[in-house]
Amino acid sequence: MTGAASGVGPDRLLARFPQGILGIDPFPGTAGRLRFDPAIALELFREVRDTLGYTHLAMVAGIDWVQTREVLYAVWSDAGRRYLLLSAQLPADHPHIESATAVWPSANWHEREAWELVDISFDHHPDLRNLLLPTGYQFHPLLRSFKLHEPEELEVKVRDV
Amino acid sequence: MGGVTTASSPAGVPAAAAATGPATEPAVPFLEIETLRAREFIPAAKEALASRISEEAQDRLLRPVFNWAGRNSLFPLHWGLACCAIEFAAAFGARWDAERFGVVPRSSPRQCDLLIVNGTVTWKVAHKLITLYEQMPEPKWVIAMGNCATGGGPFRTAYSVVPGVDKLVPVDVYIAGCPPRPEAMLDGILKLETLIKERGE
Ligand code: SF4
Repeated sequence: MTGAASGVGPDRLLARFPQGILGIDPFPGTAGRLRFDPAIALELFREVRDTLGYTHLAMVAGIDWVQTREVLYAVWSDAGRRYLLLSAQLPADHPHIESATAVWPSANWHEREAWELVDISFDHHPDLRNLLLPTGYQFHPLLRSFKLHEPEELEVKVRDV
Repeated sequence: MGGVTTASSPAGVPAAAAATGPATEPAVPFLEIETLRAREFIPAAKEALASRISEEAQDRLLRPVFNWAGRNSLFPLHWGLACCAIEFAAAFGARWDAERFGVVPRSSPRQCDLLIVNGTVTWKVAHKLITLYEQMPEPKWVIAMGNCATGGGPFRTAYSVVPGVDKLVPVDVYIAGCPPRPEAMLDGILKLETLIKERGE
C-alpha cells in the first residue's frame, strides 16, 4: 500500500521532513497512516495538499488515550482515489496543535467538535466555540475521565445561552 | 385564518351567543368583527355585547363558547425532534387521521396553541424550544410525548439530554411510551381537551 506508484504515497515527504515524520504504517484501504510531530503540522498539511494532491479533508478525530491525546486526520485525493491518514500524539496536559483550517477550510467544524468533546485546542482556529454542545458547557464528555452524571448534577444554564 | 383557537371561529361563535341575548337589534357589529385580527376579537365581542347584557351574563355566555371552540381546534406546532416525530406524523396520516378531532399541525408557532414535544430534547436545542414556546400566543398548552420528553427516556444520564422537558416549559399532559402509538397520542390530545374543559380556560 505504502508509496504506491500512483504518486500519492506519502514516502516522498520523508526527505522533506526527516525529523518531523515519525513513521508511516500500512493501513488497509488507505495510502497509509503517517505519524508526525505536531510541531510541523502546518507545513506538513501544505505539502500533503500541494505536493501529494490530497485536496479534501474528510475527517478530524480526537482520541483520548489517557496518557496522550491523539488527533487523526483523514484526507482524500481525487486523483489517486484514496485516503491518507495523518496522526499526531499530543501531551495530555494542554493538548494543542496548529489548526488545519488554513489549508483545508473544511477542518473548521471538525476541529470545533474535537475541541469540545475531547478537549484538544487548535491554535489559530478562526472560530473555536461549541458546535454540538450548548455554549458554556463545562465538561468534555468523550474524555475517559468523564463520569456519567445524574441529570441533576449536569446543570446547564440554558437561559444564558 | 389565524390560529388563536379561542377565537378561531369568529363567524359561528357570536351568532350563537347573540341568539341567546336580547335579539332586537340586527347583529351588524359582528360583520365588522370578522375582519379584525383574532386577538382583538374577544374584547371587541365583549364590547359589542356590553350594551345589551351584564358582565356576568357575558362571561356565562361567552366563556363556554370560546372554551368549546378552543379545545376542539387545537393547533399543534409542526416540529419533529426525534423518533417520536414519526409516530406524530403517523397520527396525522390516513389511518389515524387526527384532524377529525380538529387537530391541525401548523408550521409557525404564532399560529399554534399546542406544543407537542415529540422526542429527545438536548441542551443545545433547549433554548430554541423555550423561544418557540414563548412565541406561541396565549392560551397555550404543552404535551410531552414519549419517555424522552417526559423524563429523558433511555438517554436520561447522557451528557447532552434534558431529563424531562418540564424543566423548560410547563407540561399539561404526559404520554408514556417509547414511542407512544398514535392511539396513545390521540388519547393524550383527548385528555388535554378534557383538561381544558375542566379548567374552563
Ligand atoms: S421516547 Fe423513544 S421513540 Fe420517543 S424520542 Fe425518545 S427514544 Fe425516540
